[in-house]
Amino acid sequence: MLVLLCIKIDKKMNTKQTIAIIGATGNMGSGISKKLSNGNFRLLLFANQLSKLQTLEAEILEANPSADIEVTACPTEASWEADIIILAVAYPVQQQIAQKIKEVANQKIVISIANPLNDTYDGLVTAPDSSAAEELQKLLPNSKVIKAFNTVFAADFAQPVIADKQADAFIAGDDQGALQTVSELVVTAGFNPIIAGALKVSRTLESMSLLLIQLNIKNNYNWLAGWKILHQ
Amino acid sequence: MYDVFFQKFNEKISLTEQEENFIRQYLTPKKLRKRQYLLQEGDICKSIALLEKGSMRSYLVDPAGQEHITAFALEGWTIGDLSSFHSELPSTQNIDALEDCELVLISKSAHDELLRTMPKYETYFRLLITDAYLALQKRTLSMISLSLDDRYKAFMESYPNIAQRVPQHMIASYMGLSPETLSRIRSRINTSK
Repeated sequence: MLVLLCIKIDKKMNTKQTIAIIGATGNMGSGISKKLSNGNFRLLLFANQLSKLQTLEAEILEANPSADIEVTACPTEASWEADIIILAVAYPVQQQIAQKIKEVANQKIVISIANPLNDTYDGLVTAPDSSAAEELQKLLPNSKVIKAFNTVFAADFAQPVIADKQADAFIAGDDQGALQTVSELVVTAGFNPIIAGALKVSRTLESMSLLLIQLNIKNNYNWLAGWKILHQ
Repeated sequence: MYDVFFQKFNEKISLTEQEENFIRQYLTPKKLRKRQYLLQEGDICKSIALLEKGSMRSYLVDPAGQEHITAFALEGWTIGDLSSFHSELPSTQNIDALEDCELVLISKSAHDELLRTMPKYETYFRLLITDAYLALQKRTLSMISLSLDDRYKAFMESYPNIAQRVPQHMIASYMGLSPETLSRIRSRINTSK
């Protein structure tokens, strides 16, 4: 059973947190980067193509000249400097990056956004008793892995209110403090955060995303769709 | 990444390789650029930091907006607001980097877990607190009993490395003096040499 918990967002911190966004120029990564650049964060942006990163940097600074962002050349250095690391990359890349950042990500929040879809988008490549987030946790045993942003589409970042409803963004993880911190990031990104449960609930969240992708293709939602829990 | 941390730890209490590996699981490596904050007033101090590299200061701002430096830290030193760290209440202090820093952070939850599971960590931390208490006592006694000139001399003798790396106006703030007063003290001492 999926347990849904309402959460209360505490007072925002004064101390600026540094967030490394690995894969910042992808559809999801750029959506996350643009939204979080409006918060009290310093962003370290990494992607393989420097020219795309520079374009993203220019776009962010044009929209928000006071944004505290920096393009970085090394995911390990960026993760060392960061308090929070967002792996905005596909599942296989997530696992490769994990090897590079393992030591510097010790005890840090590492966010897995990946949905481990197969090539035909009709199933997941992870075993039924695991998930992309849990596989990441195996590679980063001393990090606080959190599943987040996987149930929303990239276009939702520009338009988190769809059909007059603010899209929910589900979060799963085993560390209560980390769940709280990531909830605040979700709020900054424009979504309604719902802590769904422990990290193993990522299996459900990744399956929810698979279903949303399938429904999007079938019903032509134009990749602007999301989940919303209706409740009293 | 943890060299200085374990060097300092081993100076207080010797660790085996297995014990170092056990502790390493709980440590957070972190870099901070010059002028970035580790902690700002109003936030809870969630970690204490050992400096692998660089220098930092803690300070508070009085109601008139005047900064008062409460501590400096160099390589191998530990810095944090212990009061906020222990009580988990908002800090009245700010801690920022005076130079680019490499830090080893111990979060409150990691600290509590290490205290619970590892007697050697408890010993290490007790010795750390004892040292901090003695330094605080020395500073208090110096403020009560020494002349301004002798206080400055004592500071320079105790912390020659800080004097080399930190601007004079910050040393004045740490000593509770105006920069002008500190400048006069320094002139007097230099003249009398």
